[in-house]
Amino acid sequence: MIRVTWLQFRAQAFTALAAMAAFAILLAATGPHLASLYAASGLSGCHVDSCQSLAGSFTAEVQSTYTALYVVSVGIILLAPAVIGLFWGAPLIARELETGTSDVAWNQSVTRRSWLAVKLTVGGLTAMAVTEGLSLMQAWWAAPFGRAVSDGAPQGPLSQGRFTELIFATHGITPLGYAAFAFALGVTAGALIRRTLPAMAVTLAVFIALQIAMPLWIRPHFAPADRTVIATAGGFEAGGATGPGGDTLTLVATSLPGQPEAWILSSGPVNAAGQPVSTTPAACDAPSIAGSPDFYGCLTSQGIREAIRYQPASRYWPFQWIETGLYLALALALAGYCFRWINRRRA
Amino acid sequence: MIEFQLDETSGVATYLQLVQQVHQALRMGMLEPGDQLPTAQQVVAKLAINPNTVHKAYRELEREGLARARPGLGTFITRSLSGIDAATQARFLSAMTDWLRSARSAGLGPDDIEAIYRTAFRTCFAEGVA
Amino acid sequence: MMTAAIEARGLGKQYRRTWALRDCTLAIPEGHVVGLVGPNGAGKTTLLRLATGALTATRGTISVLGEPPAVSPAQLARVGFVAQDTPVYARMRVADHLRLGAWLNPGWDDELAQRRIAQVGLDPKQRAGSLSGGQRAQLALTLALAKRPVLLLLDEPVASLDPLARREFLRSLMEAVAEHGTSVVLSSHLVTDLERVCDYLVVLVASQVRIAGEVSELLASHHRLAGPRRGPGTLPAGQDVIEESHTDKQSTLLVRTDEPIHDPAWTVTPVSMEELVLAYMNPANDIPARRPRLGVAS
Repeated sequence: MIRVTWLQFRAQAFTALAAMAAFAILLAATGPHLASLYAASGLSGCHVDSCQSLAGSFTAEVQSTYTALYVVSVGIILLAPAVIGLFWGAPLIARELETGTSDVAWNQSVTRRSWLAVKLTVGGLTAMAVTEGLSLMQAWWAAPFGRAVSDGAPQGPLSQGRFTELIFATHGITPLGYAAFAFALGVTAGALIRRTLPAMAVTLAVFIALQIAMPLWIRPHFAPADRTVIATAGGFEAGGATGPGGDTLTLVATSLPGQPEAWILSSGPVNAAGQPVSTTPAACDAPSIAGSPDFYGCLTSQGIREAIRYQPASRYWPFQWIETGLYLALALALAGYCFRWINRRRA
Repeated sequence: MIEFQLDETSGVATYLQLVQQVHQALRMGMLEPGDQLPTAQQVVAKLAINPNTVHKAYRELEREGLARARPGLGTFITRSLSGIDAATQARFLSAMTDWLRSARSAGLGPDDIEAIYRTAFRTCFAEGVA
Repeated sequence: MMTAAIEARGLGKQYRRTWALRDCTLAIPEGHVVGLVGPNGAGKTTLLRLATGALTATRGTISVLGEPPAVSPAQLARVGFVAQDTPVYARMRVADHLRLGAWLNPGWDDELAQRRIAQVGLDPKQRAGSLSGGQRAQLALTLALAKRPVLLLLDEPVASLDPLARREFLRSLMEAVAEHGTSVVLSSHLVTDLERVCDYLVVLVASQVRIAGEVSELLASHHRLAGPRRGPGTLPAGQDVIEESHTDKQSTLLVRTDEPIHDPAWTVTPVSMEELVLAYMNPANDIPARRPRLGVAS
């Protein structure tokens, strides 16, 4: 049965291999240069005080050349599970039912459960290997960026902490979970819908929905968030708009001092009593100081500080394990359902 | 070896058609005692019919005493339609051949032999069939 | 008593509100080529798919070669199936199909498979999607035969083939039966081909079995009666009328009976298989219940 699975899986496996090779070549062509830039920046072994500014200048230097490639490479890893779910998972059962070849496949001397077991295992393991492989390759290539972040580089497209939504989903072990889940989801959709194209559409929709819901509503609750209040200073994204009651005040904390790799869930200005503040106090509402450090000094003198809800950097790996475990459990549950389905024999 | 045909429009059962074709072949002298009938596989390869039909036809021929199945070898014609079995036929054929040879060496020509044969035949069958 | 190839008792399959098959009781013997005849939608595919284990029964039981369908790899090995329109993997080459068969069937006879492919003239390197209908059917048949099944089920395999391809397919099938003694159940809505190859008949109409039995017995027990016009009530008991037609002067009946017809007013002629099947397939004909008879299902 393994040989037969390979017979039918050949083309897809070679496509994946080719894609990985192309990805590898792309990264290998630029990786060493990137590493040498990092070495030249003096960031490795930098003195604590100077690290931050060195990191900032490093990221500024590479930004123009490498942003596009970085974004694309992250995008590829994000998309890989979805592509696998669509093109490996959805057709697995659906195509056999659609074309009637299930009558060939399930009338040999192999039970349907054996057939499914081998196909799920081979497909699932390969999916996990491919996605994680892409992730590891990209992690090797983007290592300098990660180090710059931990050295205190300001947040930007190239310097996102590993706990931020995009990077959390594309590094570590989460790609394994996503791949297994997307594959199992595709197979299940194909079994229930019995037609490849609609199954692909449903798989994509459900997968995207969960991938959006997870960082927004589920992951933040893996552990109770920590809270802290800090002085407003540099390092915030300030915002404002003119309204009837005065300018609205929005301050978004983009990094936590001392914990560059924490995951900031929410942040906002609060007054001395700890209540949220939404309007710029009149005293600070002068165009001359807007956006300058004096603005923050003014806010502080008014007793306004920034309250931040966050997950500390130390929870990165526990969260990785929890999330991957969740997705793997989902994948196994779907696979179990498929086993029951294939034995129910209504085809 | 006899080659069977099938007439789908005749309304006659397939196995009977095969039996009748064997009868006809025996009558025409195309089949003689000792000849092998085609195997079921050979008939099926030609006509695309159920092999059981062939077996049924051959069983009918066996019932009529015209053929016999020899396990592992095939099905063979055992006698001609007239009711004379192979051994008897061979005996008379041998006697006839000997007579013809001695007649020839005595100096009789084909016309002489034919005249003698016809006279004897008329005398024998005029007496009434035995 | 020999194991029945397929034995069904009160078998029924319901889909939502309709019954695709109802009250099906059959004992199809081994060693025959069985014709499963009926109009489209009569339940032939349902019966076959219940036998292969692709469907589970709503009611009643079915056993194939003495066991429940698809119950184990060993049982799967003994039953071959060729589905309607003879599906094959379009993007896979002919040779790969044979490899699939070899790898998934311990009883695979590769010599037979290769010989049949060569005999039919298939190119092993050709992708199955580019084969003609007749070639596809032969490939599907080879796949099913080379695993050396005891019982081979075919669902309308020749329905969409041209006459030559149809004859070739049946020829190949009969050669396999002659060579290996395989039992065959072949469904069709065309009666003419079945006459050549079938020696057991099951007629399915509107989800129910109308008649089942050995062809020779059926032909022996059915007669066409023609005579002066009179009602069928004048027939003695034990002679069931299957079909009747009357003109003002004459009556013609198709009668099922085991007793000889003594009444001299009737001209008795034999019935051909085609006439018999058509009479049983005609929904206008009321089929009287058959008295139970040993070995034959009603």
